[in-house]
Amino acid sequence: MLDHRACHIHDKDMSILRILNSLPVFWILLSIPALLLVGEYWTGDIIAMDMLHPTGEFSARFMIIALMITPLSVIFGQRRWIGWLMKRRRSFGLAAFGYAMLHLLFYLTDMEALEPILAEFWAPGIWTGWAALLLFLPLAITSNNASMRRLKQGWKRLQRLVYVAALLTLAHWLLIHDGVAGALAHFIPLLLLELLRGIIIYARRNNMTRQQDSLQAE
Amino acid sequence: MKYSAFAVAIAAVLASAGLSAPAFATGKMSCEAGPQSGWKTRAELEASLVKQGWTIKKSKVDGGCYEVYGTTPEGDRVEAYFHPVSLEKLLVSRRGEILFRKK
Repeated sequence: MLDHRACHIHDKDMSILRILNSLPVFWILLSIPALLLVGEYWTGDIIAMDMLHPTGEFSARFMIIALMITPLSVIFGQRRWIGWLMKRRRSFGLAAFGYAMLHLLFYLTDMEALEPILAEFWAPGIWTGWAALLLFLPLAITSNNASMRRLKQGWKRLQRLVYVAALLTLAHWLLIHDGVAGALAHFIPLLLLELLRGIIIYARRNNMTRQQDSLQAE
Repeated sequence: MKYSAFAVAIAAVLASAGLSAPAFATGKMSCEAGPQSGWKTRAELEASLVKQGWTIKKSKVDGGCYEVYGTTPEGDRVEAYFHPVSLEKLLVSRRGEILFRKK
């Protein structure tokens, strides 16, 4: 009887954990920075101009996390935490897009009119941001299972545009902001992981050809 | 297990990169203007700029200069630096493009 009740409580705890670990709860977590920022804007603590840096930074941050998941899986192999991240990669990518949209919205609010936006459009720090945003659009629109099915192999090719978007984002950040520390602190870890990913794939391929060679020799 | 050495190496590199991110100088200008007691106030600068036809979003002290974000009388959305004692215009920049620099 007692055992039975203990078991019941245990089940209940498990289901709460499962809810906490679910994707919808994860989406809420990803949107907390946006809610806090928009809240501060709403109460007048920050002006639109000062929303630009934090919204842009969170967009880049979530894009970088989404991009880190593949190299991490190459480096660490199949682990539970890698699987956990894999399941959330789309969420990170869409969050990056959402924060980029907020970034755009506050840019438009801050600039107030079309004329000054056009006047600075070709500044290197500006067009790189627009280009990254433009690339984000098809990536976000096709970030769903139906698009994956419809586009088949094309889907992966399309989503690889994110690497171009990442480079444009890095350029945008370096050129628009005074001081390169923030941009580098975000992008260098990704760069190192990609480097390691390349080295490991290269080493594995070499190993495989060596094994094949020795098999053929026998 | 095979890559745990890699894992440690990555962690070490990431941690050191994070901790040692050097404090790069920020800002586009610096002014040697002496103690703040000798400065004109930011309100004075803003008032004179508004009189000249500027619209101001925000102003602050940056690198010992006054830095103003706003729109010039010509309609350019810019970031501008002024000397805090003379209130002389030193630099006007639009998203990294220099529109004016004091000679």
